[in-house]
Amino acid sequence: MNDVLVRLTVNGRAVERTVPARRSLADLLREDLRLTGTHVGCEHGVCGACTVLVDGRTARSCLLFAGQLDGAQITTVEGLTPADGPSALQAAFRECHALQCGFCTAGLLATAHELLAETAAPTREEIREAIAGNLCMCTGYVNIVRAIELAAGRMRRP
Amino acid sequence: MTWVGAPVPRKEDVRLTTGRGLYLDDVARPGALHAAMLRSPHAHARIVALETAEAARLPGVHAVLTGADAVAASRPIRPLIPTPVPLPDWCLAVDRVRFAGEPVAAVAAVDRATAEDALERIRVEYEPLPAVVDPEAALAPGSPLLYPELGTNVLWHDILAYGDVAGAFARADGVLRERFEIQRYASTPLETFGAIAEYDTGLDAYTFWTNDQRPGLTLAILAESLAVPQSQLRLITPDIGGAFGNKRRPAYLLVCALLARRSGCPVKYLEDRLENLGALMHACNGVMDVELAYRTDGTVLALRVRDVADEGKNLVSPMQHNLIKLGNIVNGYRIGAVSYEAYSVLTTKCPSGANRGIGKPFMCFAVERAMALLARRLQLDPAELRLRNYVRADEMPYTTPPGAQYDSGDYPATLRRALERFDYRGARETQARARAEGRLLGIGIATSVEPAGTNLASYELITGRRAASGSAEAAMVRVEPDGGVRAALGDPASGQGYETVVAQIVADELGLTPADVHVERGFDSSTTPWLYLSGNYSNKFSVTDVGAVLGAARAVRDKLLRIAAHRLEVAVEDLELADAEARVRGAPGRGLPIRELARTAYADVLGLPPGEPPGLEARHAHQNPLAKPVGAGRTVRSQLVFSNAAHCCLVEVDRRTGQVRLLKHVVVHDCGRELNPLIVEGMVHGSTVHGIGAALLEEFRYDATGQLLTATFMDYLKPTALDVPDIEVDRLEHPSPFTPLGAKGVGEGGSIPAPAAVANAVEDALAAHGVTVRSLPITPERVWRWLGAPKEAR
Repeated sequence: MNDVLVRLTVNGRAVERTVPARRSLADLLREDLRLTGTHVGCEHGVCGACTVLVDGRTARSCLLFAGQLDGAQITTVEGLTPADGPSALQAAFRECHALQCGFCTAGLLATAHELLAETAAPTREEIREAIAGNLCMCTGYVNIVRAIELAAGRMRRP
Repeated sequence: MTWVGAPVPRKEDVRLTTGRGLYLDDVARPGALHAAMLRSPHAHARIVALETAEAARLPGVHAVLTGADAVAASRPIRPLIPTPVPLPDWCLAVDRVRFAGEPVAAVAAVDRATAEDALERIRVEYEPLPAVVDPEAALAPGSPLLYPELGTNVLWHDILAYGDVAGAFARADGVLRERFEIQRYASTPLETFGAIAEYDTGLDAYTFWTNDQRPGLTLAILAESLAVPQSQLRLITPDIGGAFGNKRRPAYLLVCALLARRSGCPVKYLEDRLENLGALMHACNGVMDVELAYRTDGTVLALRVRDVADEGKNLVSPMQHNLIKLGNIVNGYRIGAVSYEAYSVLTTKCPSGANRGIGKPFMCFAVERAMALLARRLQLDPAELRLRNYVRADEMPYTTPPGAQYDSGDYPATLRRALERFDYRGARETQARARAEGRLLGIGIATSVEPAGTNLASYELITGRRAASGSAEAAMVRVEPDGGVRAALGDPASGQGYETVVAQIVADELGLTPADVHVERGFDSSTTPWLYLSGNYSNKFSVTDVGAVLGAARAVRDKLLRIAAHRLEVAVEDLELADAEARVRGAPGRGLPIRELARTAYADVLGLPPGEPPGLEARHAHQNPLAKPVGAGRTVRSQLVFSNAAHCCLVEVDRRTGQVRLLKHVVVHDCGRELNPLIVEGMVHGSTVHGIGAALLEEFRYDATGQLLTATFMDYLKPTALDVPDIEVDRLEHPSPFTPLGAKGVGEGGSIPAPAAVANAVEDALAAHGVTVRSLPITPERVWRWLGAPKEAR
């Protein structure tokens, strides 16, 4: 099995690893870097649980090889968590009960982060459209939509 | 009481929103190997030869296990309900495979990829046998048999009759006969199922980390199959990423254990999604023939049902799909006579098993579809027909003919509230206008009971003897030496927020806040109190777990008060616990903090009342009082406490594409006292959306050779945020007299009536096209065919 050298930035920290060429980004994050906040739900790019930010844009970490990301900036849920407590989105997810088992949450936070970075005041329809690539088997999405709406409102008037 | 009943945000979410949860795949054991399983490509075949030497030689491979190894090193897995003759079920297939996806060999290697590489080097020679995919074909004489020693594929066949069924049918003005089918689908928890096993050669002891949701039963099976005492087993559950009944397969834990023994290393196995969708557990598909004997005023006199449950190759928990419907087969209606014919049939498909509401979604689909058809036949409004037949509030507690006791609730009021919230009249007007414009709008109503707590004594109906019975759970509450409070529960949560609700209950009893109470994550058999009955199943939290927590908390409370009374030289009756202290009622300033009482209990033990043992810990197990053995006339309370719900929905069918769009979905439910309304509402949303998925999208479809055609999330469609509307929820609150805080089950409620409600709405939308909805899911293709060729509609 061929190994490749990967140099990238994960949550602001430079990372250099030699990994098998077939190592996915999800496995690099979880197995090599022990960043287990990113979850793997389907390994075929549908469920969205493994969503992270690659150079600021959402991406399925199960569908990317670590070796193709040389030089990329990766942000995971750990990187979306401020040192001094939960982010506006994280707090809103808790207040609105937007998670039950919590397995989809990291991916949804990454997706919501991208949405709010581009659209400060999304409508409910825009929120549903944005999160349509993230499956949640527990909540029925109602409270996830509410949480993103609440966080958006707070982020507009800090 | 201040915290119980409050919408307290969850304690769990602090870690779960920040990526600090600990799910099974996050558990890293030093030196752990990763297992992969080779699975049968055939639905039914004889294993002629199996050669693993080449796999074992691959660098990085530490151990290989086959069915023959399993026979040598373990014992068969016992089914939850014993089969008529023993059918040895090993953790890997022996001699024969009985569904596509059944594991035939396993490899443990340095990582998962290497283990999967090794699987490609295992050679298996199969002699294919005919598949049996259709349950009606499987029960017919001459069908290929999964187990020739059984002589049939039928595990259970019985006819249970209650009341004067023949008389009622003879008296009836008419009989409605219809056949309904339900497909295979599943809750597909986002985290797949798995385990880590570790074997300590010095102690001859095993430790398992697993997201198994029923640890009490699983520990019993592991001990029997590994032939070790339960005292040498430890089972730990971390955070569980959803379960819904699906997460249980003792075979996988055994495979890990045997590989751990062979390799001398901890072994982890976690399903990939293909394995999860194809081989873990599907909700039981089935066929139900329903006959309703009715009067022209709409009164339903009797119900006759023939219910064929397709178990697949289910030896984990066979036969319960029939049993679980029996008690509540009349749904919420006052139907005086019932005949129920049960068939539990093996086929060469993935094992059927528990899935959010097990059996009841089909019960509800069949009965509520029949009610919709009866309303149409009698030209009665479907709401009015239901109101004429409901068990009334003044009849509670009401015993159904098969013996279930509906403990509380107001079914007519629940439907009326739903019609009001839905604006039923307004919706009918909207529908009429839309129809005039040529649009296809439909309104669907479905209502249901939602049982909680399974009484294992009901298995006696099948086996003729009682092995386990009742419904119970155990809990522990402990004030630590520094005054901190810790609680643990034998029921490992899989998203239901028990850490929060248990903290609310304990906080009320001890005069604390939920933030003061640390609740253990999950289950650890070495520290958590537990029973054979322990686990996260049958919607049982409110009917057993709450009593266990309350009992333990109250024992600790009483002891705190006795110590305080002794120290303060007052009577116990004059004391109360509030604001983290025991204080004299009406005498501000006279009291002792819990911290100080803990110091007495653990350190300064000479300060204890005479005869009071040191320590501040209590364990308590609660048995729900409604569970009874099988009664006269084969009546049985198979489930115990009943919530209820009414769903009203509005759909629009697109003529061009056949797409069904859900425009509005209103749920009014009654789960008694809501311990945490925030959590309750979330459960109703999620459960309802699961039911909508079953109605419109989800199906495990097999071809005639037993191959699963929908084995990825590209083919097996789950509801996304764009497929469902904001579920609108309202509630009634009729507390149960038979649970300690009046709470009833809530996790399964939405998934039971939602499929029927959506189906009724689609049929209503297509009323002009003469369509009868007899099965699910209602995909665009099916609707399109109905619209194109209504004569062929089925």
